[in-house]
Amino acid sequence: MNGLPIDLHLAWESLPALFDGLKMTAILTALPLLFGLALAFPIGFARMSDRRWLAFLAEAFVTFFRGAPLLILLYLVYYGLGQIEALRKGPFWILFGSPFGCAIVALSFNHAAYMVEVLRGSLLAVPHGIVEASEALGISRRNVFIWVKMPLAIRYGLKAYQNEVVSFIKGTAIVSVVTITDLTAVANSIFEQTYDPFTPILCAAAFYWAFVNLVRIGFDLWGRWLNRHNAEDVAADAVAPGRGPSLRPASDLKQVTP
Amino acid sequence: MIVQAADTAETGGPAIAITGLVKHYGNHRALNGIDLDIRRGEKVVICGPSGSGKSTLIRCINALERHDGGSIVVNGIKLTADEGAVQDIRQEVGMVFQHFNLFPHLTALENCMLAPRLNRGLAKARAEKLAMHYLERVHLADHARKYPARLSGGQQQRVAIARALCMEPRILLFDEPTSALDPEMVKEVLGVMEELAASGVTMICVTHEMGFARRVADRCVFMDHGEIVEDGEAETFFQAPESGRLRDFLARILR
Repeated sequence: MNGLPIDLHLAWESLPALFDGLKMTAILTALPLLFGLALAFPIGFARMSDRRWLAFLAEAFVTFFRGAPLLILLYLVYYGLGQIEALRKGPFWILFGSPFGCAIVALSFNHAAYMVEVLRGSLLAVPHGIVEASEALGISRRNVFIWVKMPLAIRYGLKAYQNEVVSFIKGTAIVSVVTITDLTAVANSIFEQTYDPFTPILCAAAFYWAFVNLVRIGFDLWGRWLNRHNAEDVAADAVAPGRGPSLRPASDLKQVTP
Repeated sequence: MIVQAADTAETGGPAIAITGLVKHYGNHRALNGIDLDIRRGEKVVICGPSGSGKSTLIRCINALERHDGGSIVVNGIKLTADEGAVQDIRQEVGMVFQHFNLFPHLTALENCMLAPRLNRGLAKARAEKLAMHYLERVHLADHARKYPARLSGGQQQRVAIARALCMEPRILLFDEPTSALDPEMVKEVLGVMEELAASGVTMICVTHEMGFARRVADRCVFMDHGEIVEDGEAETFFQAPESGRLRDFLARILR
């Protein structure tokens, strides 16, 4: 030992295993983000539907999957569903028979429930007047959604989405309880073999930190590109400070009403 | 449907025929049996105190508000709950709003290109040419690549006018187009509207700009409590108002 709590030699030796763990964590992030988002759209539409029963079903989905702790959800899917014989004999057993499949399902539903609310909030934030203007131009409802509502909703919801993704990444760590060797599981197994808690756990923390920040930088670049119409505004203000109070927070894309 | 409508318009039917129009908001009767015919090419100014139903009236014409009774026929197309009829009418009718309602994520040019591209399937180059043509007409060709946030209120409103013109509507509705503007910007917007009026398009304008009404309007309509109180040629409207309510109103806004 050299005074540091970290054994540099062990850290170096552990790198390949930790990278493999990070790869699993990345997959367990990417796939549920994809599936969750895909699920969030139809459920979100149902949630905003005028049909009461449809909105109620969607709300029940959100309440359940947002309310249930992820760990409980994972146990339910992994241990619970296996008890159902029809499922064990059915075609879906390919999915539910493996810990990986179970983790993807639990994580996707959890993420979907959160995304329904993010999506709904962002769509409701689109100023009504802008939607009316599109309708008055004779643009069909479908096109108004694709070309006006959604592009604006993405801008309003980006920060909330980023928060959800970042906390989701860290949340994936619980999959180690169903025998998946993600980043946390790798670090834990190194600890159990070496009885050195600091080196593997701190290394894993560094890996998480790097991953999360990479995602954050990605979001920042995306957000800057999306909000270029406001960024330009800031530049104009810097050049011509007398131009009046046109500097607005990025979250406020509403039209100026002088 | 549109071809049929054009025939009707060409044979000289009214641009807009409104009979017995009724609109409720809950228990409140916002429009209480409005009858109004507007000839093709006519410029009509609608004025009245706030809450008189003037905005509601023009918002019913392009079905932004759905009416509860009476009928609206625009260029021969009867406005019903049917989405097809609504879409057909909206192709004929352009609208300019008090708060501009530009698409903040699109440049002035893209704001103008969106509807022609989506509704008429114009190729990008053709839509751009069309948009530039109308941006020139509102004297904003130099600002075509700017986002709305970088434009002044008056410029934004002129982009909104160009955006409506890009659909080449036969009828233009203006809902208090200058009420949200700083005084020094009102003139540039009214100037563009006057140039438009000279082009022969049918215009209905809710406004309190009485100078504009005098210069441009063929006819002025005064509304109060969801009814048309007075409807006459611009000259007599201002010189010899018949009803006491209009006299009071004019006295208040002309000061």
